[in-house]
Amino acid sequence: MTLATCEDRDTDELRAFRLKAREWMAGRLPPRIPGQPYMDWTDKELVAADRRTQRILWDGGLAGITVPKEYGGLGLTRQHETVFGEEAAPYRLAWHLGNNYNIVQPVLLAHGTEEQKHKYIPRMLNGDHIWAQMTSEPSGGSDLFGLITRAEKRGDKWYINGSKIWTTGGEDSDMGLCLARTDPTLPKHQGLTMFMVEMHQPGMTVRPLTLVNGTQDFCQEFLDDVEASEDNIVGEINGGWAVATTQLAAERSATSRGWYIGVGASLPRERIEIASHPVKLAHELGLAETQRARQIVGEVIALEALRELVAQRASKGIDAGTLPPTTGGVASLASSTLNQRASELMTELAGPCGVTGPADGGEPEQGMDRVWLFRIGGGSAEMLRNTISERHLGLPREPGPGKDVPFNQLRTNAAS
Amino acid sequence: MDVVLSENQTLLQQATRRFVEQEHPVVQTRRLADAKAAFPAETWTQCAAQGWVALFVPEQHGGMAGEAEGAVDAAIVAEELGRQVFAGPFASNAVAAFAIANAGSDAQRAQFLPGLASGEMQAAWCFAGTGPQAGLEPGALTVSDNRFSGSAGFVENGANAGLLLVTARDGQGLSQFVIPADHPGVSVEPLRSLDLGRGYATVRFDGVSVDNGALLGQSGAPGGNFERQLQLALVLQCAETIGLIDRAFEFTLEWVRQRHAFGRPIGSFQALKHRLADHTAEFEAAKAAVAYAAKAVHSSASDAAIAVSIAKSQCGKQGVEIIRDCVQMHGGIGLTWEHDLHFYLRRAVANQSLLGTPAMHHERIAALAGL
Repeated sequence: MTLATCEDRDTDELRAFRLKAREWMAGRLPPRIPGQPYMDWTDKELVAADRRTQRILWDGGLAGITVPKEYGGLGLTRQHETVFGEEAAPYRLAWHLGNNYNIVQPVLLAHGTEEQKHKYIPRMLNGDHIWAQMTSEPSGGSDLFGLITRAEKRGDKWYINGSKIWTTGGEDSDMGLCLARTDPTLPKHQGLTMFMVEMHQPGMTVRPLTLVNGTQDFCQEFLDDVEASEDNIVGEINGGWAVATTQLAAERSATSRGWYIGVGASLPRERIEIASHPVKLAHELGLAETQRARQIVGEVIALEALRELVAQRASKGIDAGTLPPTTGGVASLASSTLNQRASELMTELAGPCGVTGPADGGEPEQGMDRVWLFRIGGGSAEMLRNTISERHLGLPREPGPGKDVPFNQLRTNAAS
Repeated sequence: MDVVLSENQTLLQQATRRFVEQEHPVVQTRRLADAKAAFPAETWTQCAAQGWVALFVPEQHGGMAGEAEGAVDAAIVAEELGRQVFAGPFASNAVAAFAIANAGSDAQRAQFLPGLASGEMQAAWCFAGTGPQAGLEPGALTVSDNRFSGSAGFVENGANAGLLLVTARDGQGLSQFVIPADHPGVSVEPLRSLDLGRGYATVRFDGVSVDNGALLGQSGAPGGNFERQLQLALVLQCAETIGLIDRAFEFTLEWVRQRHAFGRPIGSFQALKHRLADHTAEFEAAKAAVAYAAKAVHSSASDAAIAVSIAKSQCGKQGVEIIRDCVQMHGGIGLTWEHDLHFYLRRAVANQSLLGTPAMHHERIAALAGL
């Protein structure tokens, strides 16, 4: 889809905004460098550059497109943000600050006090603060509301103890949204509270996690009497479940929009795009005339096209109201399943060449996909299957304790 | 079908579902199978009166092609027919009508299209060979000087059709003919079919000689018309498989909600729920592929060939996977003759294997991608 057809959809007002954004961006924003990752928290210079980019947007009056004006934003619509993203295609935006605009801003706008919104949102928009989400714990990720990190009030301060994990960019974050248990005598959903915590303080130890592919984008935090004041509570005490529900919905919504503003993950294409990587690999390996190789190449092309088609169908149907919103999860499961199958086939195609490579090169690509591609991040595939079977297909829940039982009577993975 | 339908398409879908549920539910297919009887010719004229074949026939010959969105509308019909494992000869007649409307002379159109549209005439398409690799390409039939020989395999509706659409190799190109099934030198040998609701035949041509009036379009032509007919046949096959899955999945969901074991509905066990979620995801991808392919075929889009092969890849494989697992989730009852599930599974397996297996379509995709 070309820029011209995007513009055809514009109202006069959107078109004016587009032209203004286009003119302003030229020469001000850093160019997008092909091959550069959207996010790499080990590249400290890139993280710092993203903060500067956010500052440039703020100074130019283009930060926080959908954020209300009273909190420093532009107070415009999601369509303006889309137009902005389309115009930003040649540039790199402040992608390391994704939690700020995708997660924390919507959470604070929905649940924060006026004082909290005035205090924190402008500092997100001007690049001063990078925010982290401290959600999962070593004791469990899928059973999010079974978390065991505790917060206790002593005097007029709250003190948080426990551990969080899978925190994207934890080491470089200034603030964190941290869900903790404040009353273990209540059933598990009811005894939680959402805190905003300063990441750089005594008692907070942040350690990067190295994953099997060598990346270090996630961290684990150890909280040892980490302090928070009453003003740092978002929503009600013991009302953290409602805040976290908004947070999770914001995450799902951002993920379905493509997470990184300006990357345009879901622009519809006119015709099927034929994946070139299997064709290229078959040629490189001299397998172009082999029947099994040709079958694999065709199937991988089919699988990649199906991922695109199912995503387009879901978004079109949800927008038109002919498919329920839960179809988004169905498309997401389909995409990861099809992707897994494609990677399995690519590994088969490469054979021994997929598990070895030049001594000075990177990990052998096709084999590494089998080692690395799993469906865990953003909720495991098993949780997604529960959601689909219960909310999309209307099947009954698996019975279990929990809803009415005080949390301290449930068995957990707490160290005893 | 597509998630956004026109008003006419919604009406077509609803009317077809009502008609098939009332007049031709799966039990009718069972009755024909138990009686080992062919689909009655007079019943087909009642079905054709619904306007199904007429979707490809121009108004002047008794059809409504001008108002229809050909392959897209026909796919809507095929999906509804799949939901009841309909036994009548829709695809074979639709493809023949499409071919004649597309390439026929005025005389051929006037001679055949009204009868195909009304259902009084039935056609079958002979093109594939007879071996395990047959299904995607014109096979063993060769023609020279309007005389042809050879055997066409896996001819859907071959035993009941009065009219044969024949595609044969002619030098470097292809020639197509429309001839009566009782033409001298033509013999039809019915086959036993796994699909209890649909008959196939081997049609032998023993030095069949035809005059120029039988030629459809140019002789020795490039394969464009053949390819478009094949694409339509594949879209209808895939859309039918979507209908099969849709209905089998519906009554499986109903079953796992009602059936209790160990004191609770079996649909509350993750061992079943997770599989049903996986099937939902694969099914959604299949629906997306067929809806896209139907549109691409109707508009002769540049990616129509690859689109139908992608649809066949997914529908062929998942139709069988999903319906097999529906049987599994029903337990022993699913293996009984009296349960309808085996009619669905039989057709899904047949649809997977006919008009090119998924593996053959994968090779076709690779070739289309330039490998």
